[in-house]
Amino acid sequence: MARPDRRDPTQIRALHCVLGQLNRVDGSAQFSAGDTSVLCGVYGPVDVKLYDEKLDRAHIEVKFRPDIGVPTTKDKWVEDAVRSTFEREILGQLHPRTLVQINVQVCQGDGSVDAAAINATTLALIDAGIPLRAMVAAATCVVRPDHSIIVDPTQEEADSALSTHTFAFSNLQTNSPAYVDSRGEFSIDEYNACYDMCMAAVDRTLAFMRTAVEGKILKETQTAL
Amino acid sequence: MASTEQLTFAIETFKRIHPVEFQRRFLSQDTRHDGRAFLQFRATHVVKGTIGTAQGSATVRIGNTTVVCGIKAEVSEPDVNTPDQGYLATNVDLSPICSANYRPGAPGDEAQVDSEHIFRLFGEVVDLKQLCIENDQAVWSLSADIVCLKSDGNVLDAAIIALMAAVEDLKLPQASLDPATGVVSADKAIETQLTLRKRLFPATFSLVDDAYLVADADDAEERLATATLLVVLDDQGRLANVWKRGAGTIDRPTIARCIAEAKNRQNVVSSALE
Repeated sequence: MARPDRRDPTQIRALHCVLGQLNRVDGSAQFSAGDTSVLCGVYGPVDVKLYDEKLDRAHIEVKFRPDIGVPTTKDKWVEDAVRSTFEREILGQLHPRTLVQINVQVCQGDGSVDAAAINATTLALIDAGIPLRAMVAAATCVVRPDHSIIVDPTQEEADSALSTHTFAFSNLQTNSPAYVDSRGEFSIDEYNACYDMCMAAVDRTLAFMRTAVEGKILKETQTAL
Repeated sequence: MASTEQLTFAIETFKRIHPVEFQRRFLSQDTRHDGRAFLQFRATHVVKGTIGTAQGSATVRIGNTTVVCGIKAEVSEPDVNTPDQGYLATNVDLSPICSANYRPGAPGDEAQVDSEHIFRLFGEVVDLKQLCIENDQAVWSLSADIVCLKSDGNVLDAAIIALMAAVEDLKLPQASLDPATGVVSADKAIETQLTLRKRLFPATFSLVDDAYLVADADDAEERLATATLLVVLDDQGRLANVWKRGAGTIDRPTIARCIAEAKNRQNVVSSALE
């Protein structure tokens, strides 16, 4: 069954990112995959509320805002997804008793928004210079009604899916996903197939991120000279 | 030689002051502090119909964790976009009554995330079209309140089982809309139960101290967990949810093993729900 935008089942949408476009935050990144575009701004390490203060590491806080409407429990759920993924990747032990605040704003939503949020967060954290253990990238797969599997679905493709699978992997650890959210009605074989597809998509996304960061550093060092 | 009283006091103190070390003493010896095997779940009890004033209710106990679910049904107008569908709103309440971890006031992050997750899961269970009284005019709106009374770890599993039992227990009076007056009247003598699309069976596994995978972690183990894996199976042999949070290592063979253990757990929960 052909996809509306004529992509292959394993083909992700064109990736695009802009780093450091916000000048008030410590780091920012706008990550786009096709028509899905997510902006992330990071403050850190900054002052922390007494209640949240941790003696041995930084407190990680995530705020996620949807493109339309006020934040609801749906967005709280995404905040939890991003926070649990980055809580260990951020080397918080280097900045105890501080706060790293991650603000994610969906600019345009067209499917795979959760994955885009995680990708934008990685880039924003790098842009802010916050020490990370590894880079994390995410991808989404869906199983369509005819049981075919496609990667990086648009909203239209995701709405009609039997099950949705979002996987996040770090570039250090290949045997274990950093985050998994598989929902719907699926078999373990479909789960494994989606795992593999997402892992391949994440590899490509990580390579893209590496190129983007290299480009930014190159530009900065050239202007300094 | 210290007396038994002094020894008990010493153990409690040690547990408080060095929680990680305390757990390691057991986990490194292939056992857990309450004597369970790594992949052993606590005793699970389900009682349906515990709240007389609710249309559907259930109380679930997993070890010391106690969760009550009550479903109240109200009549309301349907959404313009879905004129033949009713509503199911799920709300998980984690308050200071269940554990010192929670503060009074508005629902915290954990409660909101649990509420949202359960809402998404049960979208597959309840057919909202069955809640229609009169197309485009009147539908049933179900409010499911899942209140944790005692939290000793793994509240999410208990919440899912409680809502599952409450939805199975749900009895809706026969309702009809009088077209002349626009009033919906309910006949309590005739009650219908919902026909569910499927039944869900959850199983939670936690990676304690980044090294030991245990099933159904209690509060002490949960605090030291670096990753949590929730597996939800349905009654037709398929998976409904695999949710891994936290960046601890849970590799592919381990996830497969957890799914197999979840199948065993399904039998236990299924018989508890009878």
